[in-house]
Amino acid sequence: MLKFLTIRIAESLAALLAISVLVFALTHVSGSPVDAMLPDDATPAQAEALVQEWGLDRPLPVQYFTFLGNALQGDLGQSLKWRGKSATEVVLDHLPATLWLGGVAILISVAVAIPLGVIAAMHKDSWTDGVVKMVALLGQSLPPFWLGIILIWIFAVSLSWLPTSGRGGLAHLILPAIAMSWFQIAAFVRLTRSAMLDVLDAEYIKLARIKGLSERVVVWKHALRNAAIVPLTYFGVLAGSILTGSVVIETVFAWPGIGWLAIEAIRGRDFPVVQTVVIVFAIVFIVANLLVDLLYAVVDPRIRRA
Amino acid sequence: MQLGIEKITRTRLIGSAALTLAVMAFAAVADAAERVTVVMDPSAAQTNRAWATGGSFDLDPVFQRLIGNDPETGEYDNSALAEDWETNDDFSEWTFRLKPEATWHGDWGAVTAADVAHSYEIQTGPDALSTGLQALQGAEVEIVDDHTIRFSFDEPRMDFDFANAGRGSMYIYSKAQFDADGMEGYDTNPAGTGHFRFIEREPGRVLLERVDGHWSGTAPDFEELELRFTVEAATKLAMLLAGEADIAVIPRELQGDATDQGMEIVQSRQPSKQVIVMPDGLFMKEGDPAFDPELPWTDVKVREAMNLALNRDDIITALYAGEADKLVRYGMHEPHEGYVPELVERFEAEYGYDPERARALLDEAGYPDAFAKPVIPIVSTVAPGSPEYPALAELVQFYFEDIGLQTEIREMDWASIGAAGRGREAYFIHPVQNAPIRPSHVALTNVFLEEGSSYHGYEDDELTGIVEEMARTIDVQAREALIREAFTYAFENYTDLPLVSLRHPVAIDPETVVGWTFPGVTSDGLSHWHLIRTTE
Repeated sequence: MLKFLTIRIAESLAALLAISVLVFALTHVSGSPVDAMLPDDATPAQAEALVQEWGLDRPLPVQYFTFLGNALQGDLGQSLKWRGKSATEVVLDHLPATLWLGGVAILISVAVAIPLGVIAAMHKDSWTDGVVKMVALLGQSLPPFWLGIILIWIFAVSLSWLPTSGRGGLAHLILPAIAMSWFQIAAFVRLTRSAMLDVLDAEYIKLARIKGLSERVVVWKHALRNAAIVPLTYFGVLAGSILTGSVVIETVFAWPGIGWLAIEAIRGRDFPVVQTVVIVFAIVFIVANLLVDLLYAVVDPRIRRA
Repeated sequence: MQLGIEKITRTRLIGSAALTLAVMAFAAVADAAERVTVVMDPSAAQTNRAWATGGSFDLDPVFQRLIGNDPETGEYDNSALAEDWETNDDFSEWTFRLKPEATWHGDWGAVTAADVAHSYEIQTGPDALSTGLQALQGAEVEIVDDHTIRFSFDEPRMDFDFANAGRGSMYIYSKAQFDADGMEGYDTNPAGTGHFRFIEREPGRVLLERVDGHWSGTAPDFEELELRFTVEAATKLAMLLAGEADIAVIPRELQGDATDQGMEIVQSRQPSKQVIVMPDGLFMKEGDPAFDPELPWTDVKVREAMNLALNRDDIITALYAGEADKLVRYGMHEPHEGYVPELVERFEAEYGYDPERARALLDEAGYPDAFAKPVIPIVSTVAPGSPEYPALAELVQFYFEDIGLQTEIREMDWASIGAAGRGREAYFIHPVQNAPIRPSHVALTNVFLEEGSSYHGYEDDELTGIVEEMARTIDVQAREALIREAFTYAFENYTDLPLVSLRHPVAIDPETVVGWTFPGVTSDGLSHWHLIRTTE
């Protein structure tokens, strides 16, 4: 187990390094931040002065290794858009909002999708199953930004039940969390249903029924536990999807998390913040997948012994 | 008896509920008078440091400059920190006398010349990004007395007043606060002199509070001003319709949806923006290596044809819902010097929609065979405050192809256009905006000189000579004549494709806001926040 963990951590660090190179290269390919920061009537002399001040005239490899060296010491540079703040500070200011929203979205996804998936599997080919499959289809085909706007118009503008946007109390969380979880619910439902259908046909399930166990215990204890491996695998992807989905959802709902921050930083070509956001995304994704792998081992003893 | 008690209890409950609802309704109305919420696009830099922004500054309601602008006409006035100002004969020396009654928010005392000198130093320093910075830099600053300050330059600076007014770069910050708290004080709790004081800034939101007993003797009729920043236009509209915002800066294509739901549109009192399509890459000074004669728009006949191909009436209807005026010449604005009314009279005859004449001109120019690169790249981009540019690119393509020009749409972000311009590698046509409308000599310098704005594309020896002479001339009448000459030359040589002159619109909720008077002279068009009038 320890060897497994060590190898996984080493692989994660290598992935992080590769991501840092990629994001550095890609952000610089999009152009200089000087062009985005300067006003329209800025002169070439002003631009040149800024380029020199920010070290953008140095060769790209030099800039990268400077960035890497500083990053290893926790310094990811100064924000070019939020002047006076470091990139790390800006990202950490916005991270709690995304964690809060993402966490609620994941909870909604799991709480809604798993029972729906189980119920659909138990009532295969019934109208219940049909409804659940339709929900899954809609969830995976409706664009999140469109769904977000529709939710705003229905529940905030027309019905005035909930606020349109922004961060505040629990009421502000509901619509963006639903919009964020919608796609995940669809995916989870389908995975759970599919996994449950496989498991419910297994011999040990038939034995459990023969032994007189109640259907509730058969389904929710024995079948679901074995079927859980499949949706659990998706959980790592889910964490990444929540983060990447946050870019769209947080923009629509003006929710000031790191997805919103990423858009603002890209618009302003705030390289240090863009790089920091991507690295944070990568870390969250990598940690989530690492946890999934560990959970795998916990849930399935065969993996622990392998 | 029991029924009677139940009846009394029910009555009390109903009465209590009614009273509660009434209180809540009253509270809602009271809230509307207490706070005005304005939702707009996020500014390019979200900071309390004005010099770190390219133009649009979130805390414009908190700070003031030396020179004010009349809310109706936009003309310079003494509504800001300067009581008056004067210049010497050659405009190389500017002296400002401050209002002795002007005071800082908090306990930072009166505004003095030392504050102005300090503000000049930080806002012309190495990390300053402000628009119009060139017009500020280079002064020797002299504190004459507590309320008099003089700026001396080595050369005439005709636009120094512009640099210190609504369009300008220099907001005045407290030196006493800086001495006590350093930059951290500005970042956490900046003291200004405006009608609103800073309360807090958080992601996506700034909250300001009315300064009761403001030194100017005037005050807004509401207590708090909340600025909320949202990129998504549909969300801004939703906030307005849901009552979460009292004023929303929404694109024109959504303004009809707002008015359909009972909202009203308020415009700036004066035009705040001019839009043209600029054929870039016209580096036609003698021996300029960047000049490419194979580009079709280097031929004046082709540029004339491009102008005649555009149906400006249809463009105004399609993109601006009819709420725009035809622009005759970039930089030419009736209140400013050098206005040439004859060009207005000639415009329809020489620039009006005439596709037949346009096709004939292309034949005369030998298009396309006479040019090795006949395809005209039309840039599709989005600039801050101008979401219509992609549609504009498509419309321009339609009209061009209708007269036989070969075109392609090229997508570029706004900053990349500037980068290409700076590198003298911009061989395409693209929109250019003059926002706010700069003084004539500033606009001409920006758009026709190599050392001007990155978003310019026409240079030739004759026009460069006229503009450079204008920049050196301090005699008012001589300058006026040179500016008129420059506008006329540009008009007759079809240096660009002038399109529209626009006022800055905002959508208001008439249940809470009855009006807002602002001239449209700032970079983002908005100002005079204390003149937002609420229903209370």
